[in-house]
Amino acid sequence: MERRALGRVAHGAMAAALGAVVMLGGSLGAYAQDKTEITFSYLWGGAEGAALEQLISDFNASQDKIVVKGVSSPDMTKQLASMSSGKGAFDISDNFASNIASWSNQGVLLPLDEFKLDTSDFPGSVMKQLIVDGHLYSVPIATHNFQLIYNKKLLDEAGVKPPTTMDELAAAIKKLTKVDASGNVTQLGLGLTDVSAGLKTLGYAFGGDWNRDGKPTPTDPGFVKGVQFYYDNVVAPVTPAAYNKFVAGFGPYMSDQDSFAQGKIAMVFDGEWRSKFNTAAKMDWGVVPVPGETPNLLGSTWVDVSTLFIPANTQHKAEAAQFLQYMISPPAMEKFSHVLANLPGRLSLIDSATYNDLPNFKVWLDALKNPNTHGLPPALYMSEYNADLASAFDSVLQGSATPQAALQAVADRTGSYQQ
Amino acid sequence: MAEKTAKYREPTGRALLKGLAFASPFIIGFLVLYAWPILASGYYSFTDFSLFKAPRWVGLANYERMLHDAKFWKSLYNTLFFTFVGVPVDIAISIAGAHILNQKLRGEPIWRALVYLPSIMPAVAAGFLWRWLLNAQYGFVNEILSWFHIPQPNWLLDAGWGGISVIVLMLWTVGGTMLIYLAALKNVPPELYEAAELDGAGPFRRFLHITWPMISPVTLFQVIVLLIAFLQVFTQPFVLSKDPGLGTQTATGPGDSMLSYSIYLFQNGFTFLKMGYASAMAWVLLLVTLAITLLILWSAKKWVFYDNR
Repeated sequence: MERRALGRVAHGAMAAALGAVVMLGGSLGAYAQDKTEITFSYLWGGAEGAALEQLISDFNASQDKIVVKGVSSPDMTKQLASMSSGKGAFDISDNFASNIASWSNQGVLLPLDEFKLDTSDFPGSVMKQLIVDGHLYSVPIATHNFQLIYNKKLLDEAGVKPPTTMDELAAAIKKLTKVDASGNVTQLGLGLTDVSAGLKTLGYAFGGDWNRDGKPTPTDPGFVKGVQFYYDNVVAPVTPAAYNKFVAGFGPYMSDQDSFAQGKIAMVFDGEWRSKFNTAAKMDWGVVPVPGETPNLLGSTWVDVSTLFIPANTQHKAEAAQFLQYMISPPAMEKFSHVLANLPGRLSLIDSATYNDLPNFKVWLDALKNPNTHGLPPALYMSEYNADLASAFDSVLQGSATPQAALQAVADRTGSYQQ
Repeated sequence: MAEKTAKYREPTGRALLKGLAFASPFIIGFLVLYAWPILASGYYSFTDFSLFKAPRWVGLANYERMLHDAKFWKSLYNTLFFTFVGVPVDIAISIAGAHILNQKLRGEPIWRALVYLPSIMPAVAAGFLWRWLLNAQYGFVNEILSWFHIPQPNWLLDAGWGGISVIVLMLWTVGGTMLIYLAALKNVPPELYEAAELDGAGPFRRFLHITWPMISPVTLFQVIVLLIAFLQVFTQPFVLSKDPGLGTQTATGPGDSMLSYSIYLFQNGFTFLKMGYASAMAWVLLLVTLAITLLILWSAKKWVFYDNR
């Protein structure tokens, strides 16, 4: 009797479970029929990824036709590989503007012209990087530029005021660089947390351009002068061997062992994202526009762009475009850039009060309006050129080649670049 | 009659089909995953190809470009340096270590396990570990050198030491080779040593005239295996050359001293999207490996001893 009762219970439970599965399947089927699912594969992770997921969630809540699935996939090689197949793994993704020319040339990006996006609010230095052969291939979700950040405590101790000219910068470096009795460097007046970005910034400060008019110009006189300035004022006085030994002790960027946060370097050219990190690290810090060789070059810098694009092999281009428009809408862009402490890609957001809680952020924001802020014209050869420049910078810092010779070696290789 | 049944019989058509069916997973896998890509890369090496667009025939242009590509020569030089320094040192340490392990030691299995332990560690994890060990400011290696007042190099940021750092990391997994040599040493008949000792041969002469010839087939095998591993080295320099401050990947090390052939090939194929040039580089590497291997096999007639001859 007991057994029969148990049997009935078991049968009932099975029937209920089956019913639940059928109902769930039915509702999922209806859900799938009603909404088109698109995949947003993004390179970000961690806090940035969480911020994106919040935006995706907001979009999905406002939609009855599209549902966006966010996937964090920080592997760029995988991103590129999935765009080579007939049917891609994602419908929208992100990358830096420097890759746009090469990828559009390969035919893996969908031109966005047909969606008639309003680009009038994007800064000129940003737009310059997004249009290839007259077609718009990507749109900005955030922008970045480099300014001179400094450790207030170290500058105050040395009686140094934040520099505004190259002569003042050279004098400040001299006062802020410390070497112990054994010849070991214990503090650098000016350091590089990103060698390429820092030296390129110095090139602009001397009126140079390493990629003038969309052509590789590694021996541009101003650019060579910028690299020479760093060698003459930072590396040579302490010797390349002592410089590199000191640099070898730098911990990972923006970690607890970060060289700037630890006071190993007093000044550094760095981006707006440092605002959030420096504050979290409880640093006493400030930022000034990049000093210029001449007054008219004050604040010379360059803007890099985080972009969104739609791959050419998407099966849902209209839906992807709709989500793209949402992501670059002022409220979404403002929210995203604020969480990341990145700069917006819209002129109308530069003066937004939303960013007021990010210390010293205004210097970077204002640079978006500065005519001395350069945008990099799209170029097919950018990745190869950057790799060659990295090698050249390294040989300068090693003291094995003069800036002129190292950059001439790059110039000798540019002939084989894809133009 | 018994002789007849033991003879090899030609398989019938049905048996052949069955045999092929059982072997088909390998045959299909080999054709699709190895043979086809190898042949395809041979074709791509004569084209301008980026993965995304149809390949365009350029004849020998990719091979001609190598002649004038300074980074190609630098990467080839670095790789040959890793190989011709690393392989002999690896063999020497392995033989020396195997001799030590071949002594009657207490806890012999534990010692064997310990020397093999680094080989089971993933290469990337080992690379990051050695980045700290070789750190010029805080690394244990320089700390130990300082105890003996030996100059402490800037392993990872000095162009003169970058290549040596790669070799040091490659030698981290020397335990695998050491254990193979240990097995080889245990196979050397002890009576040969006894006879030599009776004839008055010292340890060095016993090694030179007994051990070395008796383990020479293993040495031949090890040299070829290590040679291929060193010529293809990628992970170790790739991890060691990461920029210490930012974590961005330069993958070339100080003065391009860690730019291995495989890294430059990878850069061309997947970063610069020059798959045709990368394919040509792959074929050149294959030919270089083949040439060196054939040279070693040819020389083996003079120094490898097989006791069944």
